[in-house]
Amino acid sequence: MRYEFHWAVLWSGQSGRWLLQGLATTVELSALGWVLAAALGIASGAMRTVPWRPLRALATVYVEFFRNVPLLVWMFFWYFGVPQLLPEVIREWLFRHGAEFWAGMFALGVYHGARMSEVIRGGIQAIPKTLFEAAVAMGLTTFQAYRLVIVPIALRLSLPPATNESLNLLKNSSVALTISVAELTFQTRQIETYTARALEALTAGTVIYLVLCVGIAAIMARVEHRFAIPGLIARGG
Amino acid sequence: MRQLLAALFALGFVAVAAPALAETTLEKISGTGVLTVGTRRGSPPFGFVNKSNEWVGFSIDLVEQAIKPAIERKLGKAIKVELKESTPATRIPLLTSNQVDLIAETMTDTRPRRESVDFSLTYFVTGAQFLVKKGSAIHGIQDVAGRRVAAQQGSTNAKIIRERVPTAELREFPDQPAAFQALAQGQVQAYTNDGIQLAGLKAKAPRPAEWEIVGDFYSYEPYGMAVRKNDSDFRAVLNNGLMEAIESGLYFGLYEKWFGPKGEVPYPLTPENKRFLLMQVVPK
Amino acid sequence: MLDLSVIVNNWAFLVVQGLLGFGGFTGGTLRLAIPAIVLGFGLGIFIGIARLARSGWISLPATLYVEFFRGVPLVMVIFWIWFIIPQLLRLPIPEYGVALTAFVIFEAAYFGEIVRAGIQSVARGQVEAATALGLTRPQSMRFVVLPQAIRNMLPSLVTQMIVLFKDTSLASIIGYVDLTKAAQIVDNREIRPFELYLFIAVVYFLCTYSMSRIAARFEHRLA
Repeated sequence: MRYEFHWAVLWSGQSGRWLLQGLATTVELSALGWVLAAALGIASGAMRTVPWRPLRALATVYVEFFRNVPLLVWMFFWYFGVPQLLPEVIREWLFRHGAEFWAGMFALGVYHGARMSEVIRGGIQAIPKTLFEAAVAMGLTTFQAYRLVIVPIALRLSLPPATNESLNLLKNSSVALTISVAELTFQTRQIETYTARALEALTAGTVIYLVLCVGIAAIMARVEHRFAIPGLIARGG
Repeated sequence: MRQLLAALFALGFVAVAAPALAETTLEKISGTGVLTVGTRRGSPPFGFVNKSNEWVGFSIDLVEQAIKPAIERKLGKAIKVELKESTPATRIPLLTSNQVDLIAETMTDTRPRRESVDFSLTYFVTGAQFLVKKGSAIHGIQDVAGRRVAAQQGSTNAKIIRERVPTAELREFPDQPAAFQALAQGQVQAYTNDGIQLAGLKAKAPRPAEWEIVGDFYSYEPYGMAVRKNDSDFRAVLNNGLMEAIESGLYFGLYEKWFGPKGEVPYPLTPENKRFLLMQVVPK
Repeated sequence: MLDLSVIVNNWAFLVVQGLLGFGGFTGGTLRLAIPAIVLGFGLGIFIGIARLARSGWISLPATLYVEFFRGVPLVMVIFWIWFIIPQLLRLPIPEYGVALTAFVIFEAAYFGEIVRAGIQSVARGQVEAATALGLTRPQSMRFVVLPQAIRNMLPSLVTQMIVLFKDTSLASIIGYVDLTKAAQIVDNREIRPFELYLFIAVVYFLCTYSMSRIAARFEHRLA
């Protein structure tokens, strides 16, 4: 029995709207998660290279614990486990304002923050120590040296692996469907349950992800080219 | 550019559908000796995991004790039953993609669904209601506008709420346990599903007295077992099995076990429903 | 408050059924992860080498393969294999098969990139010397380049293997009873998500941390 394609279901009725809503949610979730991940990643990546053991230890514990546990487990943990610990007032507010989205965002941000941390740390460690010593010799405190000299250079150096991690974040946003976040993959399932057109729905979702990832990768390739520091290019995995 | 080609490459592969091997389900079961059944893992008492971590339930018992013997009689050989988890969102694809041969869970027989699958006779009758925390302000479908309601993705309940109460904030979960947990924690204010499933959830909850089932049935939900379309031989055997069970009293024995006063989820069989079940048994 | 009794009562089910795979359900994280890592890496070697082939007929499909699977989420790939492939092939595939296939073909793209980078990191001089000694291209690949390449790519390989191990948790979405699904089953009955998910987080951590420790020791000996 030949499979009959009904591509029209993608744009007739609710399907098209759902796809767009899913796409919007995916982008929102990923963008906000990325901001959190970048902040945590830069902070903890830098903390892992400073001379003070307590700070290093703290950052290491964060990174090692959070990145060695699957994201799916974190999703359940943040959505089902964490709200129970919050005070009633915050909990109620959260439930009224899309708890699943925030849980998904935190799960993504904290998990990828730990992974981003390794990338940033690699970037910082690729910088010759002499640069840091020069900054301190000029009178900057360690914190200032990091903020004004080390981290900006590290960011430029780690652009390729950081882009890779960012794209991973975007793709991992799909795991949020398990906690009922209506992102893109969730919507392809939704279209399928209403129209029974699994092939068309999955194809649409796949193509959209490909376009997103390809687009971002292409843009970032240009950006990497402009920001690369000749002679100090960190080859990322 | 390269990646665009990659996408097209994948689509092209998919468009060239492999030729089908036209084999009926009975032939397949005869050949492999296995009947694969899709059932629930979190819907007591139809299909669920009990405290000893065993997969049990009313639907599972019906398959093992009524359907399996009927198939064995028809084929003249012994077969094994293999269970797979299915949910409202996945059961039809699982069936049509041959992952399972039979869906024996809590699936409502509806006309739109009959376009994708075929149903057996009705083996259980219930209707949709709401599960809420005791003392909640929600007393039925009339009160859910603007409230957060959980449902299973792909269920008839989700569709009806979406159509009838568009202002309700519907949160769709992949399966019942996830939805119930959201209710338990206050993420949503009500969970809608068929009355009997809500009764099962309530009975198995850590503190059943905290929950109540509210609202008149806002829909009619007759459960049927689903099979692939155009598979009338298999469907006939399935129906024979069910009819034998009802006729011989096996069905009512199982009903008593799971839904009787001492059962997992007490849910008395109304005389009306009993009559309906009996009348489905056509003469031999 | 923290109620650890749910862990005490169910830890055997979680670890023996969820992690190891012995029990009433088809499942087991290890039972899925170990073959997936072996097969995924195996396929990855082919793909990595294919990407560097001189013939466009071999390198282009390999490149398309890698670019495709690195551009889509693993969850999507799992859904494709779960729903579409059985329909196309008119063949039912059990959950284990679906999950294993999805992981192998998905991770092979990533392993392929690591292999490619590893091979490319071997100095040109080595290849030239091998050819000068009379080895054919496949021979120089097998005896000279690959051994060195593998040593170079070991850290990235281990990282990817750990990633794959964690990715097996996604098999729970299709009902495979791995560690995550086992926790869900217990949680659905007892409703103690904080304790349960924290417990399996620790179990996962112990597994992956020991993987990286063993690998570090291995690297040390090889270097």
